[in-house]
Amino acid sequence: MADAAGQALDAAVREGSGRLVAALAARFRDLDVAEDAFAFACAAAVVAWRRDGPPRDAAAWLYATARRRGFDLTRRARVRDAYRPDDPDPEATPEEIAMAALEPIPDERLRLIFTCCHPALAVEARIALTLRTICGLSVDRLARAFLTTELAMTQRLTRARRKIAQAGIPFEVPGPREWPERLGAVLAALEIAYAQAYEDAAGAGDAAGLAGETLRLSRVLCDLLPDEPEVMGLAASIRLAEARRPARIDGEGRMIPLDEQEVGRWDEALIDEAVALLARAAQVGRSGPYQVMAAIHGAHASRKETGVTPWLTILGLYDALMVVRPSPVAEINRAVALAKVEGAEAGLRALAAANAEGRVENFAPYHAARAHLAEQAGGIEVARGALVRCLELVATPAEQGYLRGRIARLGASTSSRTAPR
Amino acid sequence: MKYMLLIYEAEGEYREPSTMQAVVQAHMKLAAELREKGILISGDGLQTSETATTVKFAADGQTLHDGPFPETREQLGGYYLIEAKDLDEALAWARRVPCSAGGGVEVRPLMVY
Repeated sequence: MADAAGQALDAAVREGSGRLVAALAARFRDLDVAEDAFAFACAAAVVAWRRDGPPRDAAAWLYATARRRGFDLTRRARVRDAYRPDDPDPEATPEEIAMAALEPIPDERLRLIFTCCHPALAVEARIALTLRTICGLSVDRLARAFLTTELAMTQRLTRARRKIAQAGIPFEVPGPREWPERLGAVLAALEIAYAQAYEDAAGAGDAAGLAGETLRLSRVLCDLLPDEPEVMGLAASIRLAEARRPARIDGEGRMIPLDEQEVGRWDEALIDEAVALLARAAQVGRSGPYQVMAAIHGAHASRKETGVTPWLTILGLYDALMVVRPSPVAEINRAVALAKVEGAEAGLRALAAANAEGRVENFAPYHAARAHLAEQAGGIEVARGALVRCLELVATPAEQGYLRGRIARLGASTSSRTAPR
Repeated sequence: MKYMLLIYEAEGEYREPSTMQAVVQAHMKLAAELREKGILISGDGLQTSETATTVKFAADGQTLHDGPFPETREQLGGYYLIEAKDLDEALAWARRVPCSAGGGVEVRPLMVY
């Protein structure tokens, strides 16, 4: 019995917590109240379900119980603030709970996602708050994913929730005027969460656990915003990048670069899903940076079918990306594509331009690309220096293993080859 | 909710009388619109920070200080107190406050007692 109750609760929380907390937050316009009320309902469920057996509709039971608790909490707060209290609700009977269970739970997740990603909140708080509230991630997991302590993460979340309540950040889907900025903030939050997960190729670190959550959250967003092609573009990007994960690590746990990966190990289901999303996005006919990035991932993925990487197409896409959303990362990747099309020398010149004023000096991918192109152009010492610098900048074991291997290989080639430059 | 829009700018921006005049006019226009829509509670400009005197509180007593409290390039130059539905509405008004480049308009909700 105890097990059945526990399993039912686990399942209900896993499937429904985001939706339930969102509905409660929209109802009470206070994330703290929503979280406390939901936690209370879960605790009550442990007792009641063990005693009476799990209810037919676990989510509805939790919602009804949490909502009652929410009313209690807000009433108590009003009393404390010396306002005249409302008439108290009579204690709900089991029948009433069963009746309330028939009431549909509104889907307020979109409103809540926009609230959690409001530009008035600190950037680093937004995605953590979204993952906590919509995906129900524990504070402990969030702390590990964002390389901070549980205490610091709790404070970050508390500060954000308090600001939402005290500064009057609305629980609303923004109007057309704010739409681009606000949607941009939501997409950026997801992008940061996935970048965190992607960095760790082996998926061994704690950030990698975020990959599954960002896949899920981006799917939710696509369902909630079916007419926004950039949402689909980002969701497709995440899927295409994640599809490569099984092929990114060799037998010894070292990273394998994209163009050396075995395409047979790429996740076909994720690629198919991404291609379908991009096709849907294209039908809307409104392009943007996330769709261009997805198209670049898609061009790489096409090697699975054709056996070759279409570098000229990729170069064209990076040119387009540099127009709609220029960034050091895009510039570095464009230089690599340019080297494939016009040769290593051209690529090195483009890399040098990307590092004007030392802008990307502390950025590992710059040194990795530079090592790669310098080696092709015969500049072994330059390549070695770049790899050593790169090694100083990466923190994950898979990437470190790969770089050490490259440095060792370079050592072997200096003895057999002279390096003129 | 009540929000205070605090305008911080480098005071040097307004040395030109013609610039000053244009900005004052822009403020008057905004204030008129806020008043007409029933949003404005109050609002004023402050004289420059050279006119400021600060009473500083220390553990062992008070001292007078010739100047503003924060010694920064950008100084509080004026404010609007408005009634807005939520932060989004307050921010929308804050974006419309005349302010020179490099300055900023801080939006702060008032305490509710």
